[in-house]
Amino acid sequence: MSKILIIDDSSTMRKIVGRALRQAGFEFEKTLEAADGQQALDVLRETPVDIILSDINMPNMNGVEFLQAKNDDPALQSIPVVMISTETGSDILNQALELGAKGSIKKPFTPDLIKEVLGKIL
Amino acid sequence: MNLAQYIVEATQEVFTTMLMEEVSAGAPLETRNERFSDSISSIVGMAGANKGAVAVHSPVNVACRITELFLGMEVESLDDDVKDAMGELANMITGNVKGKLEEQGQDIRLSIPTTVDGDNYTVECPGKHEGTIVPFSFQDCRFLVEIHFE
Repeated sequence: MSKILIIDDSSTMRKIVGRALRQAGFEFEKTLEAADGQQALDVLRETPVDIILSDINMPNMNGVEFLQAKNDDPALQSIPVVMISTETGSDILNQALELGAKGSIKKPFTPDLIKEVLGKIL
Repeated sequence: MNLAQYIVEATQEVFTTMLMEEVSAGAPLETRNERFSDSISSIVGMAGANKGAVAVHSPVNVACRITELFLGMEVESLDDDVKDAMGELANMITGNVKGKLEEQGQDIRLSIPTTVDGDNYTVECPGKHEGTIVPFSFQDCRFLVEIHFE
């Protein structure tokens, strides 16, 4: 299966998400990483991906600002994004969903939850 | 509002789900630790109607063990991986507590985690505050989780 981009300012969390994806049975041809929204846009303009998992609270460009910027770019706007965050039921998560995020995964999470949410999209 | 119970539930959920490790909570400390040695403290600020913070205080060797459980690899000393892992631990605990406080009608926004470490340092809690500090243990490791509000 294709390419995924994991956006999180924590390198630990990027590794954990990558491991959980494998445990959930997802095998990606390539797993790309970015530490914030701006870095993610730079990565995506070099290497388009099939799905994005993004944190919300990040320095420089947070997850909501990233969604806005992605939506403004015709080359990127069709890529599905799932938010993965400690934020649940909050205004900022609702903003992300209104901006087109396809779902959300609450930290802490299990591989089963990742499988359930991504399984509806992939 | 039982802040100690929120801290216990949040910390145990994070450890069980993300580190596959059970942690035991002790009784909340009667006096607040301010001075730490050979330790690392990860702090997430809370802003909104109520301002405060959640902090995880851990001896360096325990922080290394927690990082090993997070990453599934051996960690020998305090490095960027340990600082990042402890920041993320504080972030997840705080996010969980935030959800519980929001159920009580509190509007809270979280900061990005920050970490401090050293041989001998102080984490101050300025002004009058409401809060609690709870000791946790797993295997032969002990650490503290604290919450306070101005």
